Amino acid sequence: MIAQTAPVHTPPTTTPPAPAVQKRRRKPSLYRTLSRVLIMLIVIVQVYPLAWLFLTSLRTEQDFATGDPFALPSSLTWENYARAFETGDLGRNILNSFIVTMGANILIVLFGMMAAYAIQVLGFRFSKFVRGLFLVGIIVPVQIALVPLFIDYSTVNLLDTYQSMIIPLAGFALPMSIYLFSSFFEYIPRETYEAASLDGAGPYRIFGLITLPLSLNTVVTVVLVNSIFIWNDFIFANTFVLSEELKTIPLGLQNYIGAMGKVDWTATFAAVCVTITPLLLVFLVLNKAMIQGLESGANKG
Amino acid sequence: MLPNRSRTSVLVFLLPPLLLYCAAVLFPILQSLFLSFFSWNGISDMEFVGLSNYVRMLTADDIFWRSFFNALIYLAICLVLQLGGALVVASLLTSLRRGRELIKTLYLLPAVISTVAIAFLFVRIYSIDPVGLLNQLLHWVGLGAFERAWLSDVNTVLAAVSAPEGWRFTGLYMLIIYAALIAVPKELEEAAVLDGANKWTLFTKIRFPYIRPVWITTTIMATTYGLRGFDIPYLMTNGGPGQSSELLTTYMYKTAFTSTDFGYASTISVFIVIECLVAVGLILFMLKRKADS
Repeated sequence: MIAQTAPVHTPPTTTPPAPAVQKRRRKPSLYRTLSRVLIMLIVIVQVYPLAWLFLTSLRTEQDFATGDPFALPSSLTWENYARAFETGDLGRNILNSFIVTMGANILIVLFGMMAAYAIQVLGFRFSKFVRGLFLVGIIVPVQIALVPLFIDYSTVNLLDTYQSMIIPLAGFALPMSIYLFSSFFEYIPRETYEAASLDGAGPYRIFGLITLPLSLNTVVTVVLVNSIFIWNDFIFANTFVLSEELKTIPLGLQNYIGAMGKVDWTATFAAVCVTITPLLLVFLVLNKAMIQGLESGANKG
Repeated sequence: MLPNRSRTSVLVFLLPPLLLYCAAVLFPILQSLFLSFFSWNGISDMEFVGLSNYVRMLTADDIFWRSFFNALIYLAICLVLQLGGALVVASLLTSLRRGRELIKTLYLLPAVISTVAIAFLFVRIYSIDPVGLLNQLLHWVGLGAFERAWLSDVNTVLAAVSAPEGWRFTGLYMLIIYAALIAVPKELEEAAVLDGANKWTLFTKIRFPYIRPVWITTTIMATTYGLRGFDIPYLMTNGGPGQSSELLTTYMYKTAFTSTDFGYASTISVFIVIECLVAVGLILFMLKRKADS
């Protein structure tokens, strides 16, 4: 996209040097080779640990304890996976993570869209102030809410429930969602709304028939980006959830450590592989949409 | 503004999100501020102590200052790895003709892994018995003298718990910076090349000034995320050995949920919020002023 495009707008006076530039680009320069090597090295640093994680989950315990960590496993075994499923309730953990992720995402999308609609489309006297209020949540660290929410939950009996995780996860993700929806709503032409208004459509019908269907792409973006963080949330789950039946994946994985002081590493790695698979699959299938979403999040600002 | 809107319709759309936001974010912030003036263990009566929590934090608590400076080092390591790494890879990527999408995907891969899994992974990478990846690598390249138990050594533990956090999110920032870099108008770059600019001047005089707004955003994101970093140090070392990898966030967490000193923990979390606000203010001040000059 970058290098190959011919300089279309080059004014006539500069045409003579242009071929020289193109020729220089075609040659595999030292810079290009170096940058390829560097990129490969960095990609290896990013990916190799994960590949190693997977390989280790297939190693025998003996092999893991004594062997060279870089060597390929001497024999492959699925036993670690069997032990992983025996030790923990992985299915249960995955289901819980799924419930929390879904619940929080519904709130984030629906409420984010509603607030953005009220602020950006309907408009009201204090809309600037309300928008600023929501922006606070982007900067403020989540830790500030831990102690107050813990106290509040224990007074209203919400400790150790799905809601105890969903509420703060959705609340802290809401500002970014409102921001993304507002910047999308800006692109919907005013005339669309005015035409609908002249036909007698009120704010509810306009929301349901125009705004909602048009913003499906933004919905996908918001859901994908938030799912990464919610699926992997540790701090809220660790603070508010105690019972085994409600533990999400990050908490479930912790069970593999410390139960007897000694860690069964190969089984733990097998469990890690099982639990990262769902999100990893979604990511690999939808990575284009996810990458676009992550890029747009900051570049619109 | 829609012509047919009514006050009720604004409220219908605005109230539910605002209520959730107040319950989860705004009210807890105020509550923390309120609690920070009290001494309370969650069971006995709350006792108003005025500013004495703040006085204790700023003048009499060595662990607090230790954690504060640790958090700054943690932040510095994260920023170098995340923003520096991201900028280098994004720039290199623009010179590549094929495989950009694949590299973007691979580079982002660690961001979808949970912090618990990453903590497990890095405990093994740093381990000495059985020998982990890092020590084995050092051995191979002839730096065997540096082999050590990275997480038990008080001199290396802070860097060792910071690196995974930097490693994890560098792909995210790379994506954002890359998207900004390919948006730099080609005419600008070509004109500079015709004027005899080399790669370095092209970068410092054309590309970087052009992406400065995005750079400010990413710096703010990385800084606020770095200051709230918690999971990986908490899971890998829980602040130890001693306080050598204690961050403000892990210290606050332990004060609240291990020592159940809710008042003092709130004081520390108020400090963390102020620290974030000051950091964002400083970044805006420094980077904006440079852009103006």
